[in-house]
Amino acid sequence: MHESSSLLHTAEVVHWAALIIMAVVYSLRLRWLFKFKPGADKSAPGNPNYTDKKKGAFYSLFNVAMPWSMESTRKGFTFYLTFVIFHIGVVAGIALAFLSTVAPNLVANPIFAWICGTSLFLAFLVAIYRVFRRLLKPVMKLISTPDDYFSLLMLTAWFGLGAVTQAHVAGVAGYENINLLVAYLFLTSFFLIYVPFSKISHYLYYPFTRIWIGRALGHRGSYPIARG
Amino acid sequence: MSKPAKTHKIKMMEEQLAKKLNRQVVGSLVGCVHCGMCNDCCHYVLTHPDDPKMTPSYKADQVRKLFKANHDWTGSVFPWWVGADKVPLTDDDLDTLKDIAFGTCTNCRRCTINCPMGVDTATLNRLMRGLLTNVGVMPEGVRVVSKDQWELGNQMGVLKEDYIDTLEWMSEELEEDLGHGEAEIPIDKAGAKIMYAINPREVKYDPRTIKEAALIFWAAGEDWTMPSEGWDNTNFGLFSGDDGLGGASAKREYDKARELGVDKIVISECGHGYRSTRHEGVNWSGEAEAFPMESSVLTMLRYIKEGKIVVDPTKNPQRMTFHDSCNNARSCGFYEEPRELLRLVSTDFQEMYPNRAEGFCCTGGGGAMSMSEYTPRRLKSGEVKANQIKETGAEVVVTSCHNCVDGLGDVLKHYEIGCEIKQLVDLVANALVVEECAVMKNRPAGAPMPEVPDALKPDAEEAAAPAVAASTPLAGRRVLVVDDEEDIRTFLVTVFEDAGAETMEAADGDECIEKAKTFKPDLISLDLSMPGKSGVDAFVELRRTEGLQEIPVCVVTGHPEFRQVIYDRPVAPPEGYLNKPVDEDKLVSYVAHIIEAKDEKAN
Repeated sequence: MHESSSLLHTAEVVHWAALIIMAVVYSLRLRWLFKFKPGADKSAPGNPNYTDKKKGAFYSLFNVAMPWSMESTRKGFTFYLTFVIFHIGVVAGIALAFLSTVAPNLVANPIFAWICGTSLFLAFLVAIYRVFRRLLKPVMKLISTPDDYFSLLMLTAWFGLGAVTQAHVAGVAGYENINLLVAYLFLTSFFLIYVPFSKISHYLYYPFTRIWIGRALGHRGSYPIARG
Repeated sequence: MSKPAKTHKIKMMEEQLAKKLNRQVVGSLVGCVHCGMCNDCCHYVLTHPDDPKMTPSYKADQVRKLFKANHDWTGSVFPWWVGADKVPLTDDDLDTLKDIAFGTCTNCRRCTINCPMGVDTATLNRLMRGLLTNVGVMPEGVRVVSKDQWELGNQMGVLKEDYIDTLEWMSEELEEDLGHGEAEIPIDKAGAKIMYAINPREVKYDPRTIKEAALIFWAAGEDWTMPSEGWDNTNFGLFSGDDGLGGASAKREYDKARELGVDKIVISECGHGYRSTRHEGVNWSGEAEAFPMESSVLTMLRYIKEGKIVVDPTKNPQRMTFHDSCNNARSCGFYEEPRELLRLVSTDFQEMYPNRAEGFCCTGGGGAMSMSEYTPRRLKSGEVKANQIKETGAEVVVTSCHNCVDGLGDVLKHYEIGCEIKQLVDLVANALVVEECAVMKNRPAGAPMPEVPDALKPDAEEAAAPAVAASTPLAGRRVLVVDDEEDIRTFLVTVFEDAGAETMEAADGDECIEKAKTFKPDLISLDLSMPGKSGVDAFVELRRTEGLQEIPVCVVTGHPEFRQVIYDRPVAPPEGYLNKPVDEDKLVSYVAHIIEAKDEKAN
């Protein structure tokens, strides 16, 4: 950890503390989930010619990277692209927060800065689009909860602040504004604590839900999906 | 204003929910991010674009709210934050939930396979149905059908004697067709290799499929039987969400198969029947090990591949397309074999798009055919399927599901698409070249060779036609034809008269009563929707009028949604029920059977 200012140091300590809290809550979340009995399918494999639980699980887990695998992503490819940009932005935002505390020189590297900053900026634009989509589309309004709105708005702010912070850390604006990094780290810390209690924790469940449905439909023989 | 206290039913639902939660269900409950990706995959959404409540995630949210309010950390402490404050509290709320869970979803699972998170939304909707059913909140049709399945062992309330009677009737028909009694349908034959389980719709509305299956089993030289009990492969537990009913219904089949000592249960063409018997029933009934089972489609395909039966595809020359049952394709991975079989028994197959696991529902899934109150919405949702079918240019839609036959029938009629609907068993039976099948080739030396009728010989379709036309199964019978549409009356009268009957016509309910008194018919063919006194009212009056109440009535209607209406009347149900457009042969054989059954009872 570097010590360019006491405020920044405090932000970094809070950030790591928040990370530990998140890890603890996530562990408890998983413990809670696995306390429920597993649903077992005792029926014989659905179709000997196609049945394969492992193949089904693998296909299901990685269909996020196969937009052709689902009609919803195949037909809604533009939306799928925004999904990809949005989640690359999340990775970039996390990278910025962590690397700024453990490898500040890397964060200031121009190549890293351009990749990370651009990703955050594009994700910010996508997030704004998603805010309007959720606010204006009747279907989205109907199914949205305060948590859905808040999570999205906070992420939008986080992407925006992240993009600006990355620009300043790299000196793109001509000078480095440490206060932006402090604000960004505090916002990230808030996120780390809030996320396990919000819809954003979906990524924790994602591997399980995908593998479970993949195994179930793989056993029956309908995964991987065949088309003709 | 303070919220009303939870009713007893709501508390019971919450208790039941806790019992039904398993890891996979909880995963689906917590996994939804409300991204809206499932929206455009649902046939209800696509056909009701102005109604956001059709979106699958909204439907699943109904049970998700209950879960969050009672089991989720955030939902328990800050329910309003995650939408868990809008849980049902009163019994009126339950009626709304009933309409959502039963009336806006056929549990087709198309949203499930299109969810990026792997949320099984259809399973959540079934969970909600189960919670409602458990506290007695369900559509009347679901209640009646469930009751029949619990009490009589089949979902259409077919009495054991009627079932056996139908099997014997089909045996007689086969004997007439073949000219010998070798193909008689065996009942409760201990030690047979195969036990054939069917859909009660086959007994009640389409017994020809039983005859066709029997012909195929005979031609293949199969050692098979039909059970006297545990013969219903369908399972309303799948639709109502009642795992208890699901387990009990499936267990009847498994127990009977063990009692008879058969090697395998063969399940006739029924999507939800196949899924329930072959898969879900094993889990619901707590079977330690699944009994060997297969779809009749696989059985027929194997017979052809093994040379046990020989088929001539040119006997089915029309352009055909295939509709995948959602239960078969999405929940059982059963979609290639039906196509393989279809290609073997027909000459012009045109694929429908999208297909297989991505196909759209026929609109009849999830028990929708028994919920007449939702029929207008269901038919509107059928526009997607109708367009799919139209684009194929097919003359025949083939499907491997009795529910789909009814669902598609409604859709084709509603959207005025002139397509026939057939099942694979129809096509295989029609394409059989009996003289080259195993039963003829493998006869022991010295055994007499039964003569193969012209209708079952290769390229004998035309030769068979006059034989059918020449038969007069209604000779000496009097049929009163009641329908407000003159062209339909003319058609029905022609069919009945060609079959040897004497006929009289009536154009409305009043005329029906009047002519029934003077004409003294052996049977009344009754339309339901007519100006003036409707068919329903006329039917009730017939049943309540001395001297007329014993006359058998066969409803012939273009409004399948009235089925529930007429069966709900506080009088004896009609002896028969056929949907328009009606097949001539089916109409004649059905009516002849009703009259014969009445004669037998009278004697």
